[in-house]
Amino acid sequence: MYTPLYCAAAVGGAGIWAVCSRKAARTVLPAVCVVTLADSAIGLYFHVRGVHRKPGGWRLPVVNIIMGPPLFAPLLFGVSAYLGLIASFLRRSGHDEERRFPRPAAAGHVARLLTAGKHEQIGWEQDLREGRFQKHMAVATIVSAFLSGFEALYSHYKNRFQYRIAQASPLVIAPALMVAAGAAIRSKRAAHTALPLLSVAAMVDGGVGTFYHVRGVIRRPGGLKRPLYNVIWGPPVFAPLLFAACGFVGLLASLLRREK
Amino acid sequence: MNIRKPDGRPIEPMRQPGYYPGYSTLSQQKFWDAKTREVVLARVSNVPPIRFFSADQARTMEVICAHIIPQDDRDPAYRIPILPGIDDRLWNKRHDGYRFEDMPDDGEAFRLGLRAIDEIAQHLHGALFVDIGWREQDLILESLHHGKPAAGHEIWQRMNVSRFWLMLVQDCVEVYYAHPWAWDEIGYGGPAYPRAYMRLEGGLPEPWEVDEQRYDWLAPEDTVSDKYELVAGEESHYGSPGQGGTH
Amino acid sequence: MKRPLLGQFEAPRNGSHWLGPIQRLPQPMRRFPEGETVDYVIVGVGAGGGVLSQRLSRAGFRVIGFDAGPFWDSERDWVSDEAGSHPLYWEELRITGGQHPLAFGANNSGRGVGGSTVHWAAFTPRLHPSDFRLRSQDGVAVDWPISYADIKRYYELMELEMPVSGPAWFPWGDPHGYAYGPHPMGGVGDILIKGCTKLGIRVSAGGPVGILEGSHGDRPHCIYRGFCIQGCKVGAKASTLITHVPDAIRNGAEIRPNCMVSRIHLGADRRVTGVSYFDPNGKERFQKARAVIVSGYSIETPRLLFNSACPGFENGLANSSDCVGRYLMAQAGNVVLGRFDELIRMYKAPPAHCMTEEFYETDPKRDFVRGFAIQSVGPLPIAFAKQMMKAKGAWGWGMRRIGMDYNHWASIAVLGELLPNAENRVQLSEVKDALGLPVAKVTFNLYDNDQKLIAFARKKTEEVMWAAGAKEVVQEARYAHLVGAARMGDDPETSVVDRYGRTHDIANLFICDGSIMPTQGSANPGLTIQALAARTADYLISQGEAIFSSNKRDMTPPPVRRELAPPETWGKGAPRLK
Repeated sequence: MYTPLYCAAAVGGAGIWAVCSRKAARTVLPAVCVVTLADSAIGLYFHVRGVHRKPGGWRLPVVNIIMGPPLFAPLLFGVSAYLGLIASFLRRSGHDEERRFPRPAAAGHVARLLTAGKHEQIGWEQDLREGRFQKHMAVATIVSAFLSGFEALYSHYKNRFQYRIAQASPLVIAPALMVAAGAAIRSKRAAHTALPLLSVAAMVDGGVGTFYHVRGVIRRPGGLKRPLYNVIWGPPVFAPLLFAACGFVGLLASLLRREK
Repeated sequence: MNIRKPDGRPIEPMRQPGYYPGYSTLSQQKFWDAKTREVVLARVSNVPPIRFFSADQARTMEVICAHIIPQDDRDPAYRIPILPGIDDRLWNKRHDGYRFEDMPDDGEAFRLGLRAIDEIAQHLHGALFVDIGWREQDLILESLHHGKPAAGHEIWQRMNVSRFWLMLVQDCVEVYYAHPWAWDEIGYGGPAYPRAYMRLEGGLPEPWEVDEQRYDWLAPEDTVSDKYELVAGEESHYGSPGQGGTH
Repeated sequence: MKRPLLGQFEAPRNGSHWLGPIQRLPQPMRRFPEGETVDYVIVGVGAGGGVLSQRLSRAGFRVIGFDAGPFWDSERDWVSDEAGSHPLYWEELRITGGQHPLAFGANNSGRGVGGSTVHWAAFTPRLHPSDFRLRSQDGVAVDWPISYADIKRYYELMELEMPVSGPAWFPWGDPHGYAYGPHPMGGVGDILIKGCTKLGIRVSAGGPVGILEGSHGDRPHCIYRGFCIQGCKVGAKASTLITHVPDAIRNGAEIRPNCMVSRIHLGADRRVTGVSYFDPNGKERFQKARAVIVSGYSIETPRLLFNSACPGFENGLANSSDCVGRYLMAQAGNVVLGRFDELIRMYKAPPAHCMTEEFYETDPKRDFVRGFAIQSVGPLPIAFAKQMMKAKGAWGWGMRRIGMDYNHWASIAVLGELLPNAENRVQLSEVKDALGLPVAKVTFNLYDNDQKLIAFARKKTEEVMWAAGAKEVVQEARYAHLVGAARMGDDPETSVVDRYGRTHDIANLFICDGSIMPTQGSANPGLTIQALAARTADYLISQGEAIFSSNKRDMTPPPVRRELAPPETWGKGAPRLK
């Protein structure tokens, strides 16, 4: 349970370093992100196992998903590592780029392994390097919107939708965003209309959600006089921001250049 | 007599009184573990025969139980049997693990108490307890609650009247509130293993529980048991019959 | 959902002995052959006996633990039901008297392996350093022969072994944090926090309670079903049945359930030789032992010592001080119930999940010494109805009405320190139980300090309930817990056992349970009993063979043997402020 904390610190640190140093962006960042992706997969295993080991296990899916370890939280954690990994493939434009910072051989091996020798391999990697990964990001939007929306679903269900509109809104926006991102993979027009629209909606909704969650923490018995306890057991303050982050990924997708 | 609306009009007996219409803990039995299901279902279906009390004593006890836990607001087919539960415990000599030094053992206490109650009825009305009117019966029981029985004093020398009364009431409530129909009436969740609760705060109902729908009601006209006056000697009854643990 | 996936839950099919949905008792259990002399016989496998059997067997001693009740299988024996849980409690007869008599049974007495830790609510606060110095500090009662410093390491150890969940910072007594995080609140906890916050009283939310807030080995975490007092079928609530007895069995201890120890035998050399007991078929047998530890709790321990009276100890075994049975204590446990306009549904969540010790210490401005804690409780319907019988005088239609209102009520309780008194005592009665043994007769009275403390505590707790927004507040007078009746001390004239639980009179007879506590504080006794047991175990292990062969008493403090804790203890929990 400690590893995600270390990984998060490492990814955060590597990310900041990568802003300043191109070398770090190509070496440290992807290494840390791959480790974190592995950690998130292990976390998913533990969380699924955790639900299984509750009384009744998976035979009581609703209660045990709600009251057990949050099922998709590790994968959501992995999404940020995935974004970091994508970022590490990007290249700043300029002719002297390749000369000053030649691509390490390892990256080519990895790329070949991942695409099992298909002839597009050079294609997607080059697209990525050159900043053409709109469809790729659209897929990331679909995945993260699903994970985040599912967490919102069972958490708000636990609360019995006491704030009906505010708590239902992410459950409407998330599927719509998934559909829009799906459409954006096929259609360039959708990528420039539906996708940014719904992405902005998700970001706004995440902002509204953060307000509600923070207010919910303050309104708990004891309020701000019991900050640690109320943050732990109140509505999760960063969850709506994670939802907004899905929107951000979608917005990014709509602004990117499209793969050839 | 029927319970009444606030304007005095009678409310007809219901299959399930209480503020949780349509709620049923028994409908959730598949979510209980096997042992619990076995015990609770047996409680509903196997009503033990009367073996401890004699026929006369049983008649008197039946009336007393109907006063201590009145069920006139229940449809007669859905009334919870109280006396068999008490009789069963006394027949099997099950007690709570302690006897007060000023009380005989539980079985003897009940026999003596029933005799004393009949003596009070004779003293006040010249008839057996079962043969007097409902309100008169209620008043005699109320006098035990207040620790001021009008007669039977040589019995009350051998037995503390408040402790007897507390034991009697607590035996009745133990049987009543152990029954799933009573759980439905009060909106209690019932057995909770392996499936327990997900909505802990704010009094929120589980998806299978029911929202409260209150109705105002008055007790029947012929009763005095809706008054909430402290039982006699309450201040000294730190230990009382049938107490459970708390913290 | 109409039913669980794959249909309704059925009974476990295989022959395992279940301690929870996943945890199983190590099998097979060692059985000592008839006639063999073992090192230690432990009478009663409860809070103290469970820890002792684990420590001593792990250290290599040959140990038999006797318990009058069954060796529970949580899946087969326990029901998620109030009325069906009577077998967990000691419901054999005791006579109770005095002006303010105690209740027993479900109130404070368990029976079966795990003892009262099976049905406790599992609050596990520590005693305060001041609790060990009542005489020097407040001029009442006695000082303990040990200080808080002697037991502090054992508190820390037990808090990891159960483990105990609680806040990151528990500010009262000797402030400390807990390695396992605090629990979420139920309706009652929220009420207690609201009321205390409004009055500016500090409150501890989510513990300290010996209930898992995150799963630990084969024990799932709490599922907030509220049936703590009916036995935790989940295995989230600690009881020595699941925390220590499995490791004891793994290390070769034998547990003999359904065996009532009737007498401890004294040899010609003034050392005990073993115990007589009734086996599950009612046949009387004798078990030879090189030492005996009595852990029967505050009523059965003195009762056994009295029933073991013999030439030289006509007044009860090890009773030259005439202190056996005396200085019995219960805590004031007045329950304050409040009605709220909104729904509470207090049957969800463990009864024990929130408390404050703000009023624990003596306050010179008050007219009594010592103090009290306020704790959350969560009565289920039958307990609620019985409390309302006394708190509101409910019966008849009044009872029906209040029952229907159950979900609007919340309930918090006082836990007040009553002082020990020589006349509050356990003796033998003429009444005999089914085995022919005289039953215990208990006399209990409240004295001046007790009455004043209760009056103040009750008022303060009602104030908290009003501050939380209750529209009606009532209270029920009652007690909680039991300790004392074989107290420890340095002076053999005024105490029964020494600082390690060894009786002053008999070199190989020990007492190690709640009865050795000379004062009780306002803390639930369970953690302290287990800590004292671990400390006594360390002493016995350090002394080794000397216990069995010599009458000399070496009082050297033993080292704290962390390595003897059950192996599951280590490597878990969050870093915390010590």
